[in-house]
Amino acid sequence: MALEALLGVKESFVHPFAAEEEGKGDFVINSFNNQLQLSLPPLANPLSSRTNFESEECGRKIKINFDHGTTTLGFVYKNGVILAVDSRATGGQYIGSQSMKKIIEIHKYLVGTMAGGAADCVYWDRVLAKQCRLYELRNKSRISTAAASKLMANMAFSYKGMGLSMGMMIAGYDKNGPSLYYVDSEGQRTKGKVYSVGSGSVYAFGVLDSGYSFDLEDNDAYELARRSIYHATYRDSYSGGIIRVYHMKSTGWEVISQQDCLELYHKYKDDKPLLSQ
Amino acid sequence: MSILAYNGSAVIAMKGKDCVAIASDLRFGIQGQTVSTNFEKIFEMGPHLYIGLPGLTTDTFTVLNKLKFRANMFELKEDRKIAPDVFLSMVSNLLYERRFGPFFVEPIIAGLKPKTFEPFIASMDLLGCPNKPEDFVVAGTASEQLYGMCEALWEPDLSPEDLFETISQALVNACDRDALSGWGASVYIIEKDKVTHRRIKTRMD
Amino acid sequence: MAMPRSYGGLSDYRTVPAPSFSPYSENGGSVVAVAGDDFAIIASDTRLSTGFQIYTRNQSKLFKLSDKTILGSTGCWCDVLSLTRLVQTRIKMYQYDHNKVMSTPAVAQMLSVLLYYKRFFPYYVANILAGIDDNGKGVVYSYDPIGHHESSKFRAGGTAGALLQPLLDNQLGMLNQENVQDKTYTLEKAHAIVKDVFISAAERDIFTGDRISINIITKDGIREDSFELRKD
Repeated sequence: MALEALLGVKESFVHPFAAEEEGKGDFVINSFNNQLQLSLPPLANPLSSRTNFESEECGRKIKINFDHGTTTLGFVYKNGVILAVDSRATGGQYIGSQSMKKIIEIHKYLVGTMAGGAADCVYWDRVLAKQCRLYELRNKSRISTAAASKLMANMAFSYKGMGLSMGMMIAGYDKNGPSLYYVDSEGQRTKGKVYSVGSGSVYAFGVLDSGYSFDLEDNDAYELARRSIYHATYRDSYSGGIIRVYHMKSTGWEVISQQDCLELYHKYKDDKPLLSQ
Repeated sequence: MSILAYNGSAVIAMKGKDCVAIASDLRFGIQGQTVSTNFEKIFEMGPHLYIGLPGLTTDTFTVLNKLKFRANMFELKEDRKIAPDVFLSMVSNLLYERRFGPFFVEPIIAGLKPKTFEPFIASMDLLGCPNKPEDFVVAGTASEQLYGMCEALWEPDLSPEDLFETISQALVNACDRDALSGWGASVYIIEKDKVTHRRIKTRMD
Repeated sequence: MAMPRSYGGLSDYRTVPAPSFSPYSENGGSVVAVAGDDFAIIASDTRLSTGFQIYTRNQSKLFKLSDKTILGSTGCWCDVLSLTRLVQTRIKMYQYDHNKVMSTPAVAQMLSVLLYYKRFFPYYVANILAGIDDNGKGVVYSYDPIGHHESSKFRAGGTAGALLQPLLDNQLGMLNQENVQDKTYTLEKAHAIVKDVFISAAERDIFTGDRISINIITKDGIREDSFELRKD
């Protein structure tokens, strides 16, 4: 817990009256000073109440659709970590965007992927980026992937049960070599070799598991990641758009490719299946 | 999620000059999972008569079979092919019979009337309330997007070629903003002396 | 609402209904914004309604934040007012603190943080921010209710967002059009398309209509324009 104390993170900062301090005026935004301190509903018990957030005054259903839906994957192999993502954001069944950026560069040796609530992932990744930068300035050395992912897990844990929705992978290259962590809004954090997160992950895993090996060559690894996401976009309605492949190397992250699904569809259409090669 | 959006679909029909067009996407899915990308939702019910049945797929087939039965019986009794406006009443009646336990389909009918070859399009809600506008009809999960496209692209007295381009652009661009429809499209252009069926390539995600 | 129970056939003898409160309303409206190389256009309809009733036919949903930035905001009108008042105040505070006008990308990020601040009791609003950046280039940002934002070339939001967006994709983004080399557009073309898409939306969306208020942002300032829509 020493690291949090240093960064000014309180272990439990969620309590009903923390957010709106009285007498400070209407325009004080607590999260400007402390990004962890979000406003809470003006209710005695924010978690359960009689307040009806689902419909408006005339009784019509409120369409409060946050951007959702994703396929992301990441795996560790001999030359680093590969991350691949799609770029579709859906609000309900409406496709809000086909060009969303689901890999967030926290710094040169640390990137995160996002699945689940888009706003949640972007906001907390930004907070994490700030904390990582502060750590670097204070300690004259980069934060380890393990520590960074733990900061994220602790922030998520402090809001557990409040309805955050995040499933992210944090990939980094530090003095211990490449590593990949899975962190989600339930507070779970695990280190691993192969992950896929999001609504299309079941399809991505099918391709990924059939071709994965730690000793893949670079180009085979890129192609495996690309293909896995591509097949997920084909089967999963909530994934699509542009397929981005990133490589985390000892020299920092690198963008390998950003291709439209339609282009890949025509490329893969006449191909033989992977296993028969 | 509404049961009408369980399988995902988009169907559209338009009037042109002495011709009509009806088109649909080709996806059959179960919620987010795409099961088939070669699934026709438009069926021929007679010469110059087509029906599109977007909605819950199981009901698409039930309604289609019941309609085929009734249309065949009509033909045997009357010794003539069924006309689009008569067929509309038939579909409407069939749906309203299940007023309190409806079939979850929103049919769209397109055709040319016998003898005069006057264009005819119509749509219905799932209870069978008919709607016969002068321009276009849309239904399915992408209906909002389709309305927006059609309202801007459609104009009166389109030639068969222009009608094909218009209906295709409307359908494809609408499906590109809907997660539950797309994966290819099928277009029928119905003219007095021929019916042209084309498959259109679209995004496959 | 809990159903009032009746006792012994006395329908007027009722228990106190369970208290229930809906903090949101849906007041409708649509916003469209288009960014070009040296301009940004943002337009909104001027109808404010609830259910089948119209409150007013003359309420623009555009909020001028600076000479380079305009925010279009629709949804729950009370949330729109609270949010825009907050944004306008914070922009003033920024100006007095830093002695410079907040740039459009900076406003975009701040708006995101302000929306996310209310993550657990969100503003029910659809926001689109349009303006020109420090290089004079047009930019458009669109938001979900809790602050996820993305910059794009053109964007439609509000009740008719789903009707308008595929049209913009097709007419401005040239999507699904073959052999199109030139994907750029002029201010005049963008202006005409914005009007066209609103005419289409007013035909089918009951919350959109009456008039559109258009703001054109260039390096020379903001030009206002207006265009009548159907009023039924």
